[in-house]
Amino acid sequence: MTAGALAAVFAVPFYGALFCVFPVVTKPTVQFGVRVPPERTGATVIGEQRRLYFMRTAVICVCCTAMAILLAVHGSRWPPMLIVPIEMAADIGCLLVARRRITAVKRAERWFAGLRQTVIADTSWRADPPRFPVRWLFPALAITAATVLIGVVRYPELPGRLADGFGAWAAPGHRVPKTAVTVFAPVFAQLWVTALWTAIMLIIYRSRPEIDVADPAASVRRYRRLLARCASAMLALVTLIDLSLLLAALRNWQVYRLSGAGAALPFLPYAVGLLVFVTFVLRSGQGGFRLAADGIDGSQPPDLARRPGLADRDDDRFWKGGLIYVNRDDPALMVGARFGVGWTFNLANPAVWLLISAIAGVPAGLVIIAVLTR
Amino acid sequence: MFLTIEPDGPVPIYQQIRDRIVEAIAGGRQPAGSGLPSTRQLAVDLGVNFHTVNKSYDLLRREGLLRLSRKSGAVVQRDASSGPPSPDWAGDWTARLGTLLAEAAAQGLPAEAIIAHCQAAVAAFAFPAEAEGRP
Repeated sequence: MTAGALAAVFAVPFYGALFCVFPVVTKPTVQFGVRVPPERTGATVIGEQRRLYFMRTAVICVCCTAMAILLAVHGSRWPPMLIVPIEMAADIGCLLVARRRITAVKRAERWFAGLRQTVIADTSWRADPPRFPVRWLFPALAITAATVLIGVVRYPELPGRLADGFGAWAAPGHRVPKTAVTVFAPVFAQLWVTALWTAIMLIIYRSRPEIDVADPAASVRRYRRLLARCASAMLALVTLIDLSLLLAALRNWQVYRLSGAGAALPFLPYAVGLLVFVTFVLRSGQGGFRLAADGIDGSQPPDLARRPGLADRDDDRFWKGGLIYVNRDDPALMVGARFGVGWTFNLANPAVWLLISAIAGVPAGLVIIAVLTR
Repeated sequence: MFLTIEPDGPVPIYQQIRDRIVEAIAGGRQPAGSGLPSTRQLAVDLGVNFHTVNKSYDLLRREGLLRLSRKSGAVVQRDASSGPPSPDWAGDWTARLGTLLAEAAAQGLPAEAIIAHCQAAVAAFAFPAEAEGRP
């Protein structure tokens, strides 16, 4: 089994299981991308669709994993990693089916009739913003510095042609001429990964907190904890990705040599980091709703009990397919993800398209430079 | 302070933002000298257009309740303890109050009930000056 096949055998059940548990970590008030008033979260249709979604995605996960193992073991001209996008498309299809059924019942029974749909802002949030944990960046930067140092030391001894690619994605047997760009490509990749995710986390820190009308004070405290947890978990993951790239660089620079499935060694820190990160984030829940709200007196009834008739705004029309946020009036670059956990871009904001172009442009530019220098 | 609006309600959003800030100032939750988020930040936090918040802040500035500057941002300029309002403002407010009370009378609410509603509304504000026993 090749390193790429081994990576696919890991990735297919991982993403399948992730989609499977998404409804559990999504707030009860936005099930399958549909905004639900607090008093309707126990509706029969939601329970039914959750059960059906779980069964469908579990079957998809098992079938796709079996297919990936078969392709990996028997060898095929189709790479097993091709199963991942197919599996994801099937899971999104299950989401869309559940979303359509719940929306139909919501409209027929007029769930929001008579409710005041509100949006809440905490004006003190900007006066006391959460602090970005800069210290978590230092390990990633130290690994990058070490990679540069080893690269400089190894450069004179390297042969005229080098192995190409990173870790599990290395093209077997393929060689490229020795130039500064090809030798230090892993360093550029480390810098890009670190800069990209730090920039995204900084944008997330400047985005709005998710405040529930049911209990605004508690949701703000939970969101603060979520940000702190996500930033440290994300920067730990970035450190492990940089470590993966360092291991790939050491292999390319002929510091060690492993063949077959052993060639997947550089992939290992990334896989461990991803598993830990996802577990960490899933346990927090969407918008941190599964976290304890520090400093909130649990014996007091939630705010909504004192203000009946209020609900979060029915904003389904801004969510295309329950996944993609498009709202021209909203100046936010990023907002909380609708299904599952995390954040997503507001695609109606022109600045977001500039950002996406920059994200895609940097690696594309590096590939063009690498091709031109051959 | 939590600022709650109804974006799809009948009252324009800029008016709602202005009203909630006035209520917070009257209730002592946003005293004179306290800061508010910048127009851009509040627009992001509420998910509304930047110009909508700008319109609210400009309205509050013209009413003398808010001071806007590039350096210090949006700061509350006066509150219940800042002394009597200007005569111009009092005349304008009396005219608007007259229309509001006339609406209640036109709907058939007795004069005693109108006064009781007014008293309840005033009692809801925790005027710092009154709480401290000052005139």
